[in-house]
Amino acid sequence: MIVKNGESSLDHKTVNRRLIKENVSYRTFLSRNSENRGKILIFICASLIMAATMSITLFLTLQGIRSFTVDGLNPIKFLTGIHWNPESHQHASYGALPFIFGSFTVTILAALIAAPIGIGSALFMTEIAKTWGQKMLQPVIEILVGIPSVVYGLIGLSVIVPFIRSQFGGLGFGMLAAAIVVGIMILPTVASLAADAIKSVPDEWRQASYALGATKWQTIYKVVIPAALPSLLTAVVLGMARAFGEALAVQMVIGNAKVLPHSLIEPAATLTTMITLSMGHTTDGSVLNDALWSLGLILLIMTYIFIILIRFLSKRGRLS
Amino acid sequence: MLTQLKENIVYPEPKKQNIIIEVNELNVYYKNNHAVKNVSLPIRERSITALIGPSGCGKSTFLRTINRMNDLIPGAKCQGEIMYDGINLLDKKIDVVALRKEIGMVFQKPNPFPKSIYENIAMPLKFAGIRGKKRLNDIVEESLYQAALLDEVKDRLSQSALSLSGGQQQRLCIARALALKPKVLLLDEPTSALDPVSSAKIEDLLLSLKKQVSLAVVTHNMQQAARIADQTAFFYEGEVVEYNDTSIMFTKPVYKKTEDYINGRFG
Amino acid sequence: MNSNKANRMSIFLITCCAVLMAGILLGLVGYILYQGFSHISLRFLTSDASAFLAGGGIKNQLWNSFYILFITMLFTVPLGIAGGIYMAEYAKPNKLTGFMRSCLEVLSSLPSIIVGMFGMLVFVNFFHWEYSILSGALALTVFNLPVIVRVCEDALRSVPQDQRLSGLALGLTKWHTIKKVLLPAAFPGILTGLILSAGRVFGESAALLFTAGLSTPNLDFTNWNPLAPNSPLNVFRSAETLSVHIWAVNADSIIPDAKQVAYGAAAVLVLCILLFNVSARCLGRLVERKMTGK
Repeated sequence: MIVKNGESSLDHKTVNRRLIKENVSYRTFLSRNSENRGKILIFICASLIMAATMSITLFLTLQGIRSFTVDGLNPIKFLTGIHWNPESHQHASYGALPFIFGSFTVTILAALIAAPIGIGSALFMTEIAKTWGQKMLQPVIEILVGIPSVVYGLIGLSVIVPFIRSQFGGLGFGMLAAAIVVGIMILPTVASLAADAIKSVPDEWRQASYALGATKWQTIYKVVIPAALPSLLTAVVLGMARAFGEALAVQMVIGNAKVLPHSLIEPAATLTTMITLSMGHTTDGSVLNDALWSLGLILLIMTYIFIILIRFLSKRGRLS
Repeated sequence: MLTQLKENIVYPEPKKQNIIIEVNELNVYYKNNHAVKNVSLPIRERSITALIGPSGCGKSTFLRTINRMNDLIPGAKCQGEIMYDGINLLDKKIDVVALRKEIGMVFQKPNPFPKSIYENIAMPLKFAGIRGKKRLNDIVEESLYQAALLDEVKDRLSQSALSLSGGQQQRLCIARALALKPKVLLLDEPTSALDPVSSAKIEDLLLSLKKQVSLAVVTHNMQQAARIADQTAFFYEGEVVEYNDTSIMFTKPVYKKTEDYINGRFG
Repeated sequence: MNSNKANRMSIFLITCCAVLMAGILLGLVGYILYQGFSHISLRFLTSDASAFLAGGGIKNQLWNSFYILFITMLFTVPLGIAGGIYMAEYAKPNKLTGFMRSCLEVLSSLPSIIVGMFGMLVFVNFFHWEYSILSGALALTVFNLPVIVRVCEDALRSVPQDQRLSGLALGLTKWHTIKKVLLPAAFPGILTGLILSAGRVFGESAALLFTAGLSTPNLDFTNWNPLAPNSPLNVFRSAETLSVHIWAVNADSIIPDAKQVAYGAAAVLVLCILLFNVSARCLGRLVERKMTGK
């Protein structure tokens, strides 16, 4: 009587039934503490999460392409046009390029601000002052992460905008102010992820480098940073994803001009600020409303692109 | 049944106790690793069976197969027969939850729940359907007494089990298993994480438990096997090399390999 | 010599980065508290906001913030913990689990304004709940869910494997083991994560703009009937939260003391979030100490 896994040779009539599983019936579901009931509840919740994600993507896509399918806007013109003039009756034009340009410029500038400071702080925490640096900066990072974006916006409005105004002239509102605000906002995200990345570089490599007579900086520059590079990039890209989607803090300091700006200190707009400002004032189903949903769709697509980029980078990180 | 067993197993004569679990030609695979090879072994009632052998020889895997803890490891496959009370425990219709109440297990590292001492024992009882404060109290007290822990903890049953010392924690784990009134208790190196004094207490405890339950103990410690076991099985590379009465095994081992291991020449 | 100089130089620069970051935090929190503290008074906290006169308070906004937070947690905690249990204990390494993980990744990286737009589309327009606490709380649930799932999954995974084994070896079913052994053991971690995420929800604004609205009806704090339109408990009324208020008074309000109100409200907001931060840590540690008896 040799039995393989998954087969049964038990005859219910003959052997004792103490250890034999009962048939699953509705009673096992109704009884409190039932194994199946817990399992079913868990699976319902999990499928709800999946359904939510799918419906967000689906609904926003359907709503976002309405301006092209229903209102007949030309997608190419929408993406490359530089005039956003929905109010004009004869020549209403919907060119989203200024906002796309604004979003990308602010994001890249913010990353340029946050990446060096963030990675520098991470190096300080992990390489220079391992114990007390960690103890000091960890809470700083955690508190900074928790500060709401409107507070960053408020600080930008009352400190950074006047500062730019006094230094460079103009109004002070513009992409530079927005980039500084968002850069500071994503700084803690970049710093904490970068610290994790650097921590995961094995200590033996550092010791090998020191044993060869390298200085601390040479070790950091030649050994630690190259080894952690894909993860460091992931940290920066994650920060950029956050910067790209930030709405209110940017809206408060960018000046909200619906044109392509000529310099960093002129008022401009981004995808998020346009949605923030106009969405509440449009009527459902109007062309402007649909065009705003299309801006939202661009945001959604960018989110997916960032996710794919992060996946690609983290796969690279694992290989090396 | 005896004819099916491998011929290199010498049976102790006369047999003192009945066989409670009879394992026949058991094979366990982890993905590509053949961890237990064609093992046939009896576990006798009201006695201690020690499983010895170098680490990685399959003795722990063998032990975990008996109460189906191996089900939890993805990719583990079992073949063969583990006869207990007239049924094959490897059958898919076996209710593993009920099975584990009858065949208890104690692990290498003491692993009490982060709850009070009382709750550690009472919680599994409640799930086994035992109700009533009085009854629960009685069983908790009785099993703590059996595990020789009652005197040490009776004034602080509501304290966290993690405040106990390592040896006390392990005895609590044994008490917790005993509370379910198992027929068989499987112990996977129960003393290897403990200091010598605590180990000695656990050994005494196991000897006293022999009167009520059948025990199978995996151990690294040869002296321990010699001290407490009635029968001993020597595992090597997934196979049982030799199985015999402990007294015979440690004085006149049949196989060279057994002798070498017992004398500490490898492993 | 040259490499030594470069070494010292770079270490100096790295230290500067760290000092800069710490400085930013101190400056930020210090500035807000300094500017706002003079404006925080009992009257500011307990009087209604004013539409065009100076001297408005933030009573309703403060209440709305906490109430929306409460309703959000009511939805997120069970769902998120269930999701965490699924990911840590039930998910087998297959396609479905991979998909679930991708879904959580997408949810957690969605910009909050997108979540707000989705909330507007589904809860406000489709279900006709209008700008309401319910719509806002559901949008925030979407926003907060991936965080809680992650927290719960991590906390469960950090419970030692032998706890799982000991539960099962004692004849507990898998569900019982999760419910009675693993969840209690993971509780301190889950609690800390929950409170920290509550701070995030409390400060969120963009997702609420199009779901909970920019206005609050005249609330009657003596009317606790949740169905009355002016009851603070009514979930079908619009509600401006504290952080939305900060944005709104700056963006398009005509009250003369907009700056002061914004600073005062921001100081209250930051204080609340610091409080969440500190209490998360203290409570987590306290519970852990109680459990381990040390």
